[in-house]
Amino acid sequence: QDFTIRAVANSNEEDEDYDGLQVFKSHVEAASNGRIAVEIYMGTQLCSNGAECLQGVADGSIDVYISTSGGAAGLFPYVQVLDLPYLMQDDRIAEKVLAGDFTREMRKMALADSGDTIRLMTIGNTGGWRNFANTKQRVQKPEDLAGMKLRTVVADLPQELVRALGASPTPIPWPELFTSLQTGVVEGTKNGITDIMSMKFPEAGLQYVTLDGHAYMAALWWMSNQKFMELPEDMRQVVVDGFYQLQQATFASPKRKSIPAYEEFVAGGGDLYVPTPEEKQAFADAAQPVYEWFTSNVDGGQDIFDLMKASVDEATAELQAERSADIN
Amino acid sequence: MALLGGVIRPISWINEHLLMLGRGVGIIAIAVMVAVTLLQVFCRYVLNNALPWPDEAARFCMLWMTGLMAPTAFRRGGFVAIDMLALALPRAAAAILNIFLMVVSLTVLVFAVQIGWSETTGLGGRFASASLYIPTAIDFSEWQRVPRSWMMASLLVGIVLLIMVNVELILRNVAQLLGVTDLPPIPHADTQGAE
Amino acid sequence: MLVWFLPVFLVFLMIGLPVFFGLLAAPGILLFLNGQERDLTLLYRNLYNGMDSFPLMAIPFFMLAGEIMNRGGITHRLVEFSQALMGHLRGGLAHVNVLSSMLFAGLSGSAVADTSALGSMLIPAMEKQGYTRRFAAAITAASSVIGPIIPPSGIMIIYAYVMGESVAALFLAGLVPGAMVGIGLMLLIKLMADRYDFPVASRKFTWGERGQASLKAFFPLMTPIIILGGILIGVFTPTEAAAVAVAYALFISLFVLRTMRIGELGDVMGRAGLTSAVVLLLVGAAMSFKTVVSLSHTPQMLAEFILTLTANPLLLLFLVNLLLFVVGMFLDAGPAIIILGPILGPVFVGMGVDSIHFAIIMCVNLTVGLATPPMGLVLFVASAVSGEKVMSISRTILPFLAVEIIVIFLITYFPAISMTIPRLTGFAN
Ligand code: NA
Ligand code: NA
Repeated sequence: QDFTIRAVANSNEEDEDYDGLQVFKSHVEAASNGRIAVEIYMGTQLCSNGAECLQGVADGSIDVYISTSGGAAGLFPYVQVLDLPYLMQDDRIAEKVLAGDFTREMRKMALADSGDTIRLMTIGNTGGWRNFANTKQRVQKPEDLAGMKLRTVVADLPQELVRALGASPTPIPWPELFTSLQTGVVEGTKNGITDIMSMKFPEAGLQYVTLDGHAYMAALWWMSNQKFMELPEDMRQVVVDGFYQLQQATFASPKRKSIPAYEEFVAGGGDLYVPTPEEKQAFADAAQPVYEWFTSNVDGGQDIFDLMKASVDEATAELQAERSADIN
Repeated sequence: MALLGGVIRPISWINEHLLMLGRGVGIIAIAVMVAVTLLQVFCRYVLNNALPWPDEAARFCMLWMTGLMAPTAFRRGGFVAIDMLALALPRAAAAILNIFLMVVSLTVLVFAVQIGWSETTGLGGRFASASLYIPTAIDFSEWQRVPRSWMMASLLVGIVLLIMVNVELILRNVAQLLGVTDLPPIPHADTQGAE
Repeated sequence: MLVWFLPVFLVFLMIGLPVFFGLLAAPGILLFLNGQERDLTLLYRNLYNGMDSFPLMAIPFFMLAGEIMNRGGITHRLVEFSQALMGHLRGGLAHVNVLSSMLFAGLSGSAVADTSALGSMLIPAMEKQGYTRRFAAAITAASSVIGPIIPPSGIMIIYAYVMGESVAALFLAGLVPGAMVGIGLMLLIKLMADRYDFPVASRKFTWGERGQASLKAFFPLMTPIIILGGILIGVFTPTEAAAVAVAYALFISLFVLRTMRIGELGDVMGRAGLTSAVVLLLVGAAMSFKTVVSLSHTPQMLAEFILTLTANPLLLLFLVNLLLFVVGMFLDAGPAIIILGPILGPVFVGMGVDSIHFAIIMCVNLTVGLATPPMGLVLFVASAVSGEKVMSISRTILPFLAVEIIVIFLITYFPAISMTIPRLTGFAN
């Protein structure tokens, strides 16, 4: 064994991040014939947030780290493009976009911004899609959210979205969210179903989920560029392939995990609402101000937005061609 | 002997006044913490319109309060420790033990100040605050996000102050060992507990 | 190799290195010797990030609220109220001492504040009535540990933060154990009072006089109701509740009772700031320490070792109580929780002990440790307040400690005592 890769994810072993890391470890250790060992540290054992962990990646105390777009936005603000609502329609589009040149472009931007220290390896998924969930009533149209106190992270984009839909964005630290939902400090949140169920939010009264899918929960996998470039070329290929395997695993894992989560939610009396295409369009229309906010307020926002849009269009066209070939 | 006293007196004077300033700023920081947290409760519960920044602003103040006030506690002997051994030893031996413990502390602090400097000036310090802004134009027309380093500097400054206190305390212990007794005492030196 | 940081830490602690430096020096030295210099950065980073947390804000806030109430003469009214209720009993002032501590506990999260505030008022009063000074000091110290058991509680905030538990659940779980300590002490006082013929403090108050005393104590007594009620009905989070407690204490001291002047505010905030700065640095250092606990796989090894002793959780809980009690004799509750929580918590939760239940066992046991000789912090404070020697207070406090140890074992083996309220309110499963 010649190299050790120390990988960190702030989530726990129930999370899809862990599934991805297991696949990564297994591939890299086997394909490198044991020359590379992968150590996995789950949770906040070594570092506990994006700023702290990415600094670890930059200075080499951590080799691999997964952040959400929110976790990296303080350093690379343009990654918030992944949070823009209703831009990528579904999993197939998202997976095509993230497997393509879009990710390579973002890698270049991040390397340039970090002085060639932090390398974006791949973008996968963590937790499926964000949906609106609340303790009050079924939400079918944006007006149903009017005045509702919705928990958001302290970041501009999700707050702009909540405000655009007429609700009141309320920052609550994640550990205090259960109690806050229970006591009514906030009335709703925007999360994926697996997070909602693993935090037992329905027990705190969170009984209404609208599957609007307003944001893809992207997982950005970072690696210390120095560590990566120090590897011989054949080992670099092993690592890159490992990240491909990891990406595939994290695309698949949330889909599997969400099945029992949805079942459990409904079995517990939860109201699961799937909006019609027209209703979804109404949400998308109401969310328009967020795009303007993003392109005019975020450094590099216009460029990355255009790139994302072009990638989505391209993916949509490809997909249509593939579909028509498949069904005929 | 006189030389030692001549070194300790100015250091003591500087520490005394720097820490007084630190306590003053720390007190303002506490007041701001309370005020913005209450403001947030009011805006969320009464106006149904929570503000994005009080959480971060309050943490900002808490970190600076800690960095600026902990050195005073250290100087007054307020850091929690089991001091049974020193109490049981004869005076000279206790002073030697204290000097040894102070040197261990100083070593920790010297490592910390180096790491702290590279952390604060490094990539992690460049992270932009999610909700805190400062004006960059005199007419408040342009605003910029506060970098995380402004918050991280609190611990770095705290460590520098702790080092200055530590050096003073080592010198005072040496002086005590050599029988220098005419040094100005540290005001309010006492122990205080967390519980 | 890395696991040697634990004995090194213990040696540092025993020879008197401040806990803060010990928490950093011991792991630092081992990482250095182990060739893991890059991980020294992780120590620093977790020190900083450990302090950078919104829930921790409750620590300075509750300390400040306690300082204000003390300065604002609120304590005085609680004692008068207790006297109106219990002063006529045999051993009246001893009962008043305990009841005042229970009431004071609803306003303050600190045993030291309790001892100094109530002790300076009640110890001289008890002496005047013919109690020995050491008895007065001992009952003051023994009852002050109720302060951090009944919410709010500084050490529960620290535990919840370091271990990722719900502050609200811990607060609610402390209500009954805190009341049990108080009632247990009162029962013992009643026994002693009959045997040693303790004096009554006053004639029996009429219901009208009691009403008057209640009225005067009304505003201070509302504090815990505002804190817990506000959390329960969703006006504010537990952290914000601490800020509300500050505002409320200020309001009644400055405007309702007019017992404090604005000019005293700076001094009060300075005292609260100094104490909490020390605690916050310790919490940060604990998070660094925890990092090395993880890197060294200590909890796993410890769990394996413990399971070779016995796999019976009841026996293990007995052993852990012994361990905590011994640790509590030498170390303050806050640092002890900071050091032992991350090591012991996962072991017992892994064996099926409810995490809130375990938290309460730890918090109550280590809080009682504040009043155990030789190093009990409140013994020293009680000694300073009364002028009695620590040694003689230590001897006199023993029967009261026995009551508290009985309570510790009751809450250890009857989880329902602590868990019922958090379960009924939905804050624990
Ligand atoms: Na209390
Ligand atoms: Na008492």
